[in-house]
Amino acid sequence: MFKSLNIWFISSLLVSLCVLIPIATVFYSFFEDTSNYFSILKETFLLEYIFNSFTLLICVLILTFIFGTSAAYLVSFYKFPLSNFFKWALILSFAVPPYIYAYSLTAFFENYGTLYSILKNLFGPGNYNQHIPKFDGLFGAVLSLSFSLFAYVYILARASFLYQSQNLIDLGRSLGFSKLKSFYSLILPAARPAIVAGLSLVAMETLAEFGAVDFFSINTLTTGIYNSWIAFDDLAFSNRISFFLLIFIFALFILENLSRKKAKYHSNSKGGFKQKEKIQLSGLKAFNAFFICFILFFLSFLFPLSQMLYWTIKFPENFFDLQVVTLTLNTIYLVFLSSSALIIFSLISNYGNRVSKNKVLNILSTLSISGYAIPGVILAVAFITFIAWFDENIIQSLGFLSIKKMFIGSVLGLVLVYFVRFYSLAFNGIKSGYEKINISVDESSYLLGYSKQKTFTNIHVPYLRNSLLFVVILISLEIIRELPITLILRPFNFETFATTAYISASEDLLEAAAVPSLFLILIATVFIMLTSKYILREK
Amino acid sequence: MRLIIIRIANNSHSQIKINTKEDMRKISILALIFSVFASSFAIANEVNIFNARHYKADADLYGKFTKATGIKVNLINGKSGALEKRIISEGANSSADLYITADAGRCGAMDAKGHLQRGLSSEAIRAAVPKSFRTNKWVGIAKRARIIYYSPERVTGAELSGMSYEGLADPKWKGRLVIRKSSNIYNKSLVASLIENNGKKATAEWAKGVVANMARDSKGNDRAQIMAVAAGEADIAVANTYYLALMLSGKKGAEQQEAAKKVKAFFPNQNGRGTHMNVSCAALVKGAPNKDNAIKLVEFLLTPESQEHFTNNTFEFPMIEGVSPSPLVVNNLGLDFQQDMKTKLASYGKNQAAALEVMTAAGWK
Repeated sequence: MFKSLNIWFISSLLVSLCVLIPIATVFYSFFEDTSNYFSILKETFLLEYIFNSFTLLICVLILTFIFGTSAAYLVSFYKFPLSNFFKWALILSFAVPPYIYAYSLTAFFENYGTLYSILKNLFGPGNYNQHIPKFDGLFGAVLSLSFSLFAYVYILARASFLYQSQNLIDLGRSLGFSKLKSFYSLILPAARPAIVAGLSLVAMETLAEFGAVDFFSINTLTTGIYNSWIAFDDLAFSNRISFFLLIFIFALFILENLSRKKAKYHSNSKGGFKQKEKIQLSGLKAFNAFFICFILFFLSFLFPLSQMLYWTIKFPENFFDLQVVTLTLNTIYLVFLSSSALIIFSLISNYGNRVSKNKVLNILSTLSISGYAIPGVILAVAFITFIAWFDENIIQSLGFLSIKKMFIGSVLGLVLVYFVRFYSLAFNGIKSGYEKINISVDESSYLLGYSKQKTFTNIHVPYLRNSLLFVVILISLEIIRELPITLILRPFNFETFATTAYISASEDLLEAAAVPSLFLILIATVFIMLTSKYILREK
Repeated sequence: MRLIIIRIANNSHSQIKINTKEDMRKISILALIFSVFASSFAIANEVNIFNARHYKADADLYGKFTKATGIKVNLINGKSGALEKRIISEGANSSADLYITADAGRCGAMDAKGHLQRGLSSEAIRAAVPKSFRTNKWVGIAKRARIIYYSPERVTGAELSGMSYEGLADPKWKGRLVIRKSSNIYNKSLVASLIENNGKKATAEWAKGVVANMARDSKGNDRAQIMAVAAGEADIAVANTYYLALMLSGKKGAEQQEAAKKVKAFFPNQNGRGTHMNVSCAALVKGAPNKDNAIKLVEFLLTPESQEHFTNNTFEFPMIEGVSPSPLVVNNLGLDFQQDMKTKLASYGKNQAAALEVMTAAGWK
């Protein structure tokens, strides 16, 4: 027992505690009384929240399934003009967060919006507004989420299609199936675990989504958590909603893990594997395939990018008002602090897992990476609840000064919550690097008389350098897009591109949201390009 | 994005090559320098503002204040609800000095919760601001009216004659009215003033009538309501005064300017208590560490120079005598309307919860 009380055990324990605290806070609050204020209305609200979240979820799942699998099918089985370009261009949709997509939709389709200007310039003045469809409300949110999340399904479905052997296609052919029938009855079922895994990731993001649904003022569980805390002053009720949301998420978490195991099993079946040939399309078929991919690429990436660009050019004064340098420095500052903390702890935990085969340690590691599944809004609100409770009942009753200010509305608090949310990213990034270092390297090092510490600093860290860089890029990508945590916990005079865009948009200044949104998209695009090789690797 | 990496990392062993080492090193050095700067706590002559008014023009004004007095202005911008939470959670030792927001109901509600303190008063403030637009905890700094916009093509003068807020529930407007969501603070304050004048029961009935008249489910901001009238989706809309001036100014583009020209403004309740007025207000937060500076800032915001800055940039009505609203407001909305000076602005905060309750009960989205 004492043997296991070493630094990596303690660090894993600390991280697990950080993840457990918000979950425990939510569960504890569930059994607390909420105030009677508005009690009857709240019951009806809760039903509305659940109904809206559920509707949103189902619609987004259907659309992302259609978009993701059809695009993946086309680029993995066929050659057509620009098919190699689309292969990676389709994941650029990750650079456009759903809330920015929502701004673009509104800007384009609203009364007297961009589409109106286009029609007016093309055909002269006319009453076009009544004929322009309005993509807002629940429908707008469904579109925003689907176009920015379908890449999850696309990437995983594509990876799974790549592993499918020529034999499967030959089988379809010998059974006399048409291409469509082969797709439905053979290819799709074989890729099912991967697609289900992709869809459950989409589902987690959909349920956690805050910016877009808030912009369209749809009451979902996530905005409900935020609003009941803000409008009803009822932290307990907001934690109660969190509880329902966590149950949803927990089910998805299990589903995702199960299908992940299955997907692994399928992709590893090497027996009789025959590399398949991509079929060259020509004529109308090639055009159709090209057209489908282009439309997806256009709608998911080019459309929001050009709308934001258009507004930046149309209202140039906003460009000069934006403090780009400060915002960039703020983002770098957050990335620097978060990455340092994340990398140190995940290095220690990974190293611990490597040198000791302790089961408890393994369980703790698994627990500590599950923070990624908890929506940012829940983490932030639970964090405040916990700090307030801890401050009141422990710190102050012991006669110390209040610590609230140290944690709420400070960079420290922000980084702590990021830590919980992004720990799995750093942990898994480093883990995959570690798995490439053969254990015999360690043994040789010990034989040469290196201590464990020396092996770590002189052998492991240099080997892991690429993984570490990769982790930093991913963390940057996440932090620059992150909205609810930053919004709730950020300190004085401290904005990021995401919060600037959000605040402008929520205060009737949608045009001013264009510039920070544009920067956000461009920076994220660069980061995605840096990582695309890894995400789309073929072997 | 994050999730996909997590998944891939869990399944795979792969080699990544990224040649951004050099860049990353530069970035980390920059970040280090920055963090040293950020952590140096200077004790300064400053005032901390929790600001829910996000007008670029306000930032310019604070810059002028710093130039004139040497007092540094620290801003935290946010939506009012979130800022209030922050003040409440920081409690007695809040770092906030002033809470500035665009609705009297919000200041009133913060007062009711006990998070404001007395003492936001001075000779200059008392001389500048009429009594019904201030308490000794918060002060109005600029005015706006919530009025009716109509399409002159589809609404006749006879229909509008003697129109009041109460009249919005008249069945003759069935399918012709647009107004924002019930969660919007301007609507809450308007309905709160109706509760103050007509009682909760009558207002609950009124809310049902309004919902029955709506041309569509409530959505969008105030400008979107005006544009809905311009586009023919509805005949009348309820929105604040400065939005039309903002659209007419061309700052929002030629299309919105075009839309604004298709609607006309109407000031309701002219035969009675007058048009519903609201203010942007500055409130003194309990435990404010820089109280004196806070008072100085409010006095500065009430000088003719600052008031002109408001009227010309945000198109609000001035709080003080002797400053004229922007020509865009004067020429297109008119000036000679009767303001509701009878209903105390403090009642907006008091009746806010009841207002939301009657609207929600009526099915107002």
